[in-house]
Amino acid sequence: MSAKVLVRDLQKRYAGVDAVRGVSFAIEPGEIFGLLGPNGAGKTTTVECLVGLREADSGQLEVCGLDARRHPQEVKQRIGVALQSTSLQDQITPREALKMFGAFYRQRTDPETLLKRFSLIEKADARFDTLSGGQRQRLALALAFVNQPELVMLDEPTTGLDPQSRRELHDDIVQMKQDGCTVLLTTHYLEEAERLCDRIAIINHGRIVATGTPRELMAQRRGAQSVRLVTGRPLDLARLAQLPAVQDVAGKDNEATFHTTGATATLGALTQWLGTEKNEIIDLQVRAASLEDVFIELTRDPEKR
Amino acid sequence: MNALLQHLGISLRLHLRNKMALLYGYLFPLIFLVAFAVLYRHERIPLLRHMGELLTVAVLGGACFGLPTTLVSERERGVWRRYRLTPIPTWAVVASTAIARYLIVLSAGLLQLGLALAIGMTFPKHPFDLFVAFTFVAFAFIGLGLVIAALADNVPAVQALGQCIFLPMLIIGGVAVQLAALPLWAQHVSAFFPGRYAVEALQATVSGAGFGGARFSLLALALSGIAGCVAGAKLFRWDAQQRFSARSGKAWLVPVFGAWLAVGLLAEWRGRIAIPVDREVAPVARAKVKVPPVAVAPEPVRSPPIESPSAMVGASASTGTVMPPPAGPVAVMTPPAVTPVEPVVPGRPLTPPPPDPLWMHITKKEIDALDYNLPPDHGIVSPMAGRDEEAEDYMRDQVESIRSKLPFWPPGTDGDDLRCVRNLLYVAAVPDAIQLPVERYLPRVVFEYLIDTYPREKLTKILTWIAMTPEQGMVIDDLSDLGVEGTAGDPMVVRERAYLYAIKFVARLTGRVEE
Repeated sequence: MSAKVLVRDLQKRYAGVDAVRGVSFAIEPGEIFGLLGPNGAGKTTTVECLVGLREADSGQLEVCGLDARRHPQEVKQRIGVALQSTSLQDQITPREALKMFGAFYRQRTDPETLLKRFSLIEKADARFDTLSGGQRQRLALALAFVNQPELVMLDEPTTGLDPQSRRELHDDIVQMKQDGCTVLLTTHYLEEAERLCDRIAIINHGRIVATGTPRELMAQRRGAQSVRLVTGRPLDLARLAQLPAVQDVAGKDNEATFHTTGATATLGALTQWLGTEKNEIIDLQVRAASLEDVFIELTRDPEKR
Repeated sequence: MNALLQHLGISLRLHLRNKMALLYGYLFPLIFLVAFAVLYRHERIPLLRHMGELLTVAVLGGACFGLPTTLVSERERGVWRRYRLTPIPTWAVVASTAIARYLIVLSAGLLQLGLALAIGMTFPKHPFDLFVAFTFVAFAFIGLGLVIAALADNVPAVQALGQCIFLPMLIIGGVAVQLAALPLWAQHVSAFFPGRYAVEALQATVSGAGFGGARFSLLALALSGIAGCVAGAKLFRWDAQQRFSARSGKAWLVPVFGAWLAVGLLAEWRGRIAIPVDREVAPVARAKVKVPPVAVAPEPVRSPPIESPSAMVGASASTGTVMPPPAGPVAVMTPPAVTPVEPVVPGRPLTPPPPDPLWMHITKKEIDALDYNLPPDHGIVSPMAGRDEEAEDYMRDQVESIRSKLPFWPPGTDGDDLRCVRNLLYVAAVPDAIQLPVERYLPRVVFEYLIDTYPREKLTKILTWIAMTPEQGMVIDDLSDLGVEGTAGDPMVVRERAYLYAIKFVARLTGRVEE
């Protein structure tokens, strides 16, 4: 089957800034694809070009087999979108909103079904301004599903939600995949991406800097575990950096973090050195590289690298 | 289509749930209605002459504030951004928002009309024309509302911009203050605002000649509406992040104000600036011909004298449009029947023997039956200076000049007594109608002149007769030969004020008012 979304060399410039500079990626049917990047990296602009809110300057945009730049209205019939912080009129109720938005599409889902699926039955006739943040976000998701979409695009859907609501929303997103829907998700929560996404693209300064499954991305830093160390007395960081296999030392006083390509050798030398200095280890943590490490590594300002 | 109807239905439902919108949309026009009813409480048919103004205020409020406030606040919240993610074209949502607004202002207009009828206003003369004119007015102002929505980046900006358009139209645009009461420069300015044409078109269908009298106004409204809707659509912004200052296509504002300018220039060119004067106003007086307008509308006379006019109560008056005098016991007294007489042709002498004038048969009973419940002498309507009250310095010369001209003023001296007294009352009534600074002093001048010229008993009878038959005779609206500039434009107002002064004078002559 061909890709659900195909973006090739997308360029978008506005207000004198190159927001997106040649982004390319493809999303396969049925997968949850995460677009990750720091604020201002170009995630939202990319999504806005895909959903027809902005016109791309150049590049190829294919959504559900359609040229999204030439047939934006047809694309809109087939996709569902939940943008970050969607707000509706204060007086509208979820049931009315679902009914009205449904009327905008050729194909629609019964509002009752959506109210049930997104746990909004109890609030079906409550005014929008009385809904909690989580309920509003669930309504935004429900609205994305009024047209039985083949593809849903969720732009930072969990921003500003409490952990409980976020957990519920994660379950909803997993359910979407199980229902056969393709999902494009932008987020800056890395554990969210790690947990939900089949594949991830990391975008920085308007360009894709890495693509792959979370596992593949983390593997890029395999062998470089991160270490956190707290000691009883202040540490000599220059001396620490000379220990075998140690990289990227940072910290001050009696705390330090660093990477190591050979944990065993490093830790052996470390305990020996601290022993001769009579400097007690208070805390020592060694862990494999996380997606966060990869992300920070890839999106770090080049001058600070 | 289903999408549009759904959105329309939701828009109306949300409007009804929004307390602020209801306040602006319905309570606000009703407050105006009540205020007008109080302000013009002495008019004989309540509010009839002000329906144009009241309906215009209702549409202006709904279209210049309500519509852009809804649009801009929805845009600020991101509702329009959300619509934009669906396949429904933006124009369809804008159209449905505009239609919803039309239905909202229509309901506000009907509410006003209903309340006015309940207060005692007569049914509009041309209801269908009124509906069409109302639609034109709504179209023009909804176009304007769309432009305001495009210009304003946020809701406070809507309020500020709306006021900038609303207040001038209300005050010097002929909407809340009658054009006749405004100086000529303001009448020129008003020709460039659509508010004036809205009032004219609506009023023509309520109490005038219907469409026939409002063609130019309808054209003006259509032009403003088309320009507003096109510019509103071209400048439409669905995203609050796009600021007006940063967007292209500002040139689309040119047609909007271009349309206003074109309409104003067209009005100037066609000489429509001075407020239109009703054909009923005596043409002779306007043309300043020195011959009194004997032929135009003969005073009712009858050949066989009868004991008393009240003996004829119930018999129909033959003068056609005679309306009963206002409220109170007078209302039951229709003017005595008049045997139709042949119209008198100018130059041909009246056939002898001259019939006995009707006023001669006025009795004390009829004088007592007048409605002496009058506006205060210090108010806006029919003010009258006290006997010892002197005009302020700057207008003393004008008052004295009129006093000296009155004995030589042909409409006040030529012809029968009834006609002369009636014409002299207009010297008090017209300045009152157009709210000249001297309006308080001229009634006193006229009253003193009348007492000096006529025996008290005769004068009392003539004035009572005039108060009982306020619809009769020709109105003189142009007093420029006495040095009074400006015209009231509406003979009904002048008649009403003359009626009020007639009773005020009778009240003084009969000792009901101490002087």
